[in-house]
Amino acid sequence: MNKHARLTLKITAIAAAVAAACGPAWAAEDDDVKALTKPQSNIEFGIGYTSNDSKRFGQYNGFNQDGGYGLLGGNLIKRDDETGTWMSLSGSNIGLDTQQLRFEHNRQGDWGYYLEYDETPRFNPYTVNTGLSGIGSPVQTINGVGRRNVDLDTVRETITLGFSKIMDGGLDFQARFRNEEKDGSRQWGQGGAPVNFLTEPINQTTSQLDLVLGYTGQKLQLTGGYYGTMFNNHNAFLSIPGSPVFTQMALPPGSQSHQLHLAGGYNFSDTTRGNFKVAYTRQTQTDQFFSSPPQLNTRTDLGGKVNTTLLQAGITARPLPKLTLLGNFRYDDRDDQTTIAQYVAAGPLTDGNNEPRSVRTTAGKAEASYALPDNMRFIGGIDFAEIRRNTSPVRIVSYRAKTDETTYRGELRRSISETLTGSVGYLYSVRDGTPFITTTNLNGTPGSNLIAPIHLADRVRNKIRITANWQVTEPLSLQFRLDDSHDNYAQRASSTLGPQNGTTRTYAVDASYAFDEKWQASAWYSRDEINYDQLQRGLANPYQVKISNVGDAFGLGVRGKPYSWLDVGADLSYQDITEENRQQALAGAATEVIPDIATKLTRAKLYANYMVKKNVTLRGTYIYDRYNSNDWTWNRWTYSDGTTVNAAPIQEAHFFVLAVNYKF
Amino acid sequence: MKTTNPILVLMRCVTAALCLFAITQPALAQDAAKAPRKDLALKGDAVCTRCHGVDDEYPVLAIGQTKHGTVADKRTPTCTSCHGSSETHINRPAGVTERPKPTIVFNKKGSTQPEAQNQACLTCHQGGKRTHWQTSLHASRDTTCVSCHQVHTGHDKVRDKKDQAQVCYTCHKEQRAQNQRPSRHPIPEGKVTCSDCHNPHGSAGTKNMVRDSVNETCYTCHMEKRGPFVRSHQPVQEDCTICHNPHGTTTPNLLKARPPFLCQECHEPTGHRGNPGAFTTGAPTGTTASNLLARGCVNCHTNIHGTNNPTSASGGRSLRR
Repeated sequence: MNKHARLTLKITAIAAAVAAACGPAWAAEDDDVKALTKPQSNIEFGIGYTSNDSKRFGQYNGFNQDGGYGLLGGNLIKRDDETGTWMSLSGSNIGLDTQQLRFEHNRQGDWGYYLEYDETPRFNPYTVNTGLSGIGSPVQTINGVGRRNVDLDTVRETITLGFSKIMDGGLDFQARFRNEEKDGSRQWGQGGAPVNFLTEPINQTTSQLDLVLGYTGQKLQLTGGYYGTMFNNHNAFLSIPGSPVFTQMALPPGSQSHQLHLAGGYNFSDTTRGNFKVAYTRQTQTDQFFSSPPQLNTRTDLGGKVNTTLLQAGITARPLPKLTLLGNFRYDDRDDQTTIAQYVAAGPLTDGNNEPRSVRTTAGKAEASYALPDNMRFIGGIDFAEIRRNTSPVRIVSYRAKTDETTYRGELRRSISETLTGSVGYLYSVRDGTPFITTTNLNGTPGSNLIAPIHLADRVRNKIRITANWQVTEPLSLQFRLDDSHDNYAQRASSTLGPQNGTTRTYAVDASYAFDEKWQASAWYSRDEINYDQLQRGLANPYQVKISNVGDAFGLGVRGKPYSWLDVGADLSYQDITEENRQQALAGAATEVIPDIATKLTRAKLYANYMVKKNVTLRGTYIYDRYNSNDWTWNRWTYSDGTTVNAAPIQEAHFFVLAVNYKF
Repeated sequence: MKTTNPILVLMRCVTAALCLFAITQPALAQDAAKAPRKDLALKGDAVCTRCHGVDDEYPVLAIGQTKHGTVADKRTPTCTSCHGSSETHINRPAGVTERPKPTIVFNKKGSTQPEAQNQACLTCHQGGKRTHWQTSLHASRDTTCVSCHQVHTGHDKVRDKKDQAQVCYTCHKEQRAQNQRPSRHPIPEGKVTCSDCHNPHGSAGTKNMVRDSVNETCYTCHMEKRGPFVRSHQPVQEDCTICHNPHGTTTPNLLKARPPFLCQECHEPTGHRGNPGAFTTGAPTGTTASNLLARGCVNCHTNIHGTNNPTSASGGRSLRR
C-alpha cells in the first residue's frame, strides 16, 4: 500500500465515526457513499468553433466549415435499486451531422429494450468544379449547367431497435433490428474515350435483423437463430442523356439474405472445452433489370442465388498441467448457383455469359503450448487453408482452381521477472496449388498466360515478431514491438512477369512515465514499411515497379491534476508518410518518373477541466489539425468534360471547445 | 487511478473531526463497534470495504455504478465471487508481516495465471459472444479480460466507442499507425470501432470477424458490394482484403496500392492493361492516358465491384457501365 493510500481514511472509518458521533450524520455518509456507488448522470453543453474550412479535419466529424457549432450531449441514467431497473437516455453532438441518441430501458437480469439513432457523415475531401447537372439525382447531364464548385457528401442515418429477455432455465432471447438509410453523392465517372465526370446518386436502405435464442448452462452454452439482411437501392440506374460514352450506367442491385445458425460450446471437463458453429445462408439477388435493350436473353432479373454453408469446430484441452492443445476446423462453402445466361455478345475474350463465383475454403489449425522451465512457454502450431474457386470457360486473367497454404509457426514467451516479459515468434508459410489453367480465347487461340495473380501465386512467407514489456521502475514502463515479414512470389512457368516479392515491417516503442500521482506522460514512436516489387510489360517492353509506403509516426501525451479542481492534458501526434512508385524500363523506351507523394499529418490537442463545483466542470479544449501533402492524384487531372477536382495541399484547422458539464 | 475529488477532501476533513469526536465519546464508539458493517456496493462487501474504499490503492466502490453493482439482479457477484475466498488476505495469519494477496488477483504481473483470471469471469460470461473465447488468439496468447476491461469503474474505456481503439492500440501498434492514414474508417471520431468488425472474444470466422467471413462482415455496412452481379470481379467475391486494407492506407478508398499498379498485380499485360504508369496533363484522350491520375483504372472501370447491367453492349463485361 502506498503512502497516499496509508494516509487515506477509509470509507468505513467514516461510517464508524459517523455512527459514533450522531445519528443525523448517517444520512450525510449515506449520501456520500451513494454518490460513489450510484450511476451518475451528466449533461454537457457548450460551443465549438472552427477557425477555417478544412475538409480533411471535418471529413467525418462534420466540423469542416469555419464558424461556430452548438454542442449538446449527456447521459441521463436512473437505476431503481429495489428492482434493478435502468432507464437511460444518452446523446452526443445532438443537432449536428454526427449526432447520436440512445434510449435504453431494462430490468437487469430480466428484460430490456433500446432504441438508437446515429448519423455518420462523410464529406468528400475534395472540391469539384464541374458543369454536371442533376447531382444527387438519377438523371444527370454532362455540362448541363455552367461549371461551379460542388461539395459532395454522403450520410448514413441508422436506427437500431433491440430487445432482450432472460428466461428461466438459462435461456435468453435477443432481437436486434438495424435500418440504415444512406443518401448523398459519391465521386464517380464513366470512360473509355472520353472520360467524363459523374456522381453516383446514393439512396440506399440496408436492413439487418438478428434473432438469437441462447442457452447458458454450467457446461453447455448454445446460441441459435436467424440473421436476415436486405439491401434496397432506390436508384436502379443512372441516366446520362446525351452522353457520348454511355447513356445508362448500372447502379448496385438490391439483394437479400437469410441465415440460420447454431453455435455452442461444451466444457467436457475443467481442462477441456469444445465449440462449434453451423450456419446456412441463402442469398438472392432478383432486382429487376432496368430497361435497356438490346439484351441477348429474355430474363428480367439475374436470378442470383448464393448458398453459403459454414461448419466450424474447435477444441482446447490441457492434458498435462504444462501442456495446452488447441485444434480448430473451418469449412466455408460459398456456392454461387446463379442461373447462367448469355448477356453480352461473344467475342475473343468472353462467351458473353455471366460468371457465377463460388469459393470454398477449408481451413484447420493445430497448436500446442508447453510451459518450460524459467517461466518460459513455447507455442507451436500448424495452420492449413485450402481455397477452391470455380472459373468460367473464357477468362482474361490467369486462374487456378485451388490454392493450399500451410503455415508453421513457433513462439517462445518468457516472463523473465514480474517486470519483464517478452516473446519471439517465427512464422513460415508456403502457398501453392493446382496448375494454372491455360487461358484460351473463345476461338481456341492462346490467351495471355503471363501473370500469376497476387492472391493465387505460389508464395513463401517468412515472418518474425519480437515483443517486450518492461516495467523499468515503478513509474516507468516500456513496450517494444517488431514485426518483419517477407513474401516471395513465384511466377508463371513461361514468364518472369507479375508479383516478385514484398516486405512489411513495423517497429514500435512505447513509454509511459508517472512523475507522481498527479502527473503522467507517455510517448510512442512507430515506423511501418511496405515494400513490393512487380514486373509488368507494356506493349512489348517489360518494366519493373518498386512500390514503397513508409510511415514514421510519433505521439506524446501528458496528463496532470495539479489541483484537486483542475485536470489538464496535452496530446501531440505526427505522421510522415512517403509513398514511392518507382518504375524502370527493362527494355525499350524509358518510363515516366513518378514523383513521390509525401503526406504529413499533425494533430495537437490541449484540454483543461476546471471543477467549478463538485458537480459542475468547465471544459476547454483546443485542437490543431494540419494536413500537408503533395499528392498529385487530382491536381494534374482534367476530365474530358472540363471537370477538375481540387485537393488543397495544405489544410489547417484550429478547433476550440468551451463546454459546461453538470453531473447529478 | 488516485482520486482527489473535492468530495473526498471534504470527507477526510469531516472524518478527522468526527473521529476525534468519536474517540472522546467512548460509549458511543463502543455502540458503533457493535453495529454490523454495511455493504456499500456489492452483496457482502462489508468485509472488503472495511479496508478498500474509493481512495485506496485499489479503489473499488465505483463498481456500484455498474451492472455488477446492481444487486437487485440476483446474478451479480460478491467480491469473493471473482477474487476467490481470499481467507488469508481477509484475516492475515499470525506472524505474517505482509498481508497475503487475494486468491485471484487480476493484473498482468500477479501470481494468478491468466487462464484462472479469465475463468473467474467466464463462470458467468461464457455464453453468447464469448462462446468461442478459448479457441481465440487472444486466449492462447494469455490476454486476460482485465487486459482490456476495467471492472471497478463506471466507465469501462473499451466499451466506449470513442475510447475503444486506444485500448486495442496497446498491443496493435500497426493498426494504430494505419488508422491515422489519410484514407481510413472514422475510428478517431468514434463512428466505427474495432468491435464493429472484430469480436475480440473469438468467433467462428477468420480474424475474429463478427460475421462468418471477412466479406460478410464488410457487407454489414457495404452491402451494395455483395451482388451477385451479371458481371462480377472475382477477388471482390473472394475477399475484400485482396485489394483493400480496412485499417487505413495512403491511397484513397483504402486501396493497398495505387492503380494501375494494384490492378497489374493480377491483370495480364494485354492491350492497355500492362501500360506503365503515366501522366498526361490536361484532358485524357483514351483509356491508356493518365492511368496514374484521378481514380486510375477506375476512371473508366467505374463499376469495379461488379455491374448488373444486362445489355449486350461494350463496357458491361469490363465493368465500365
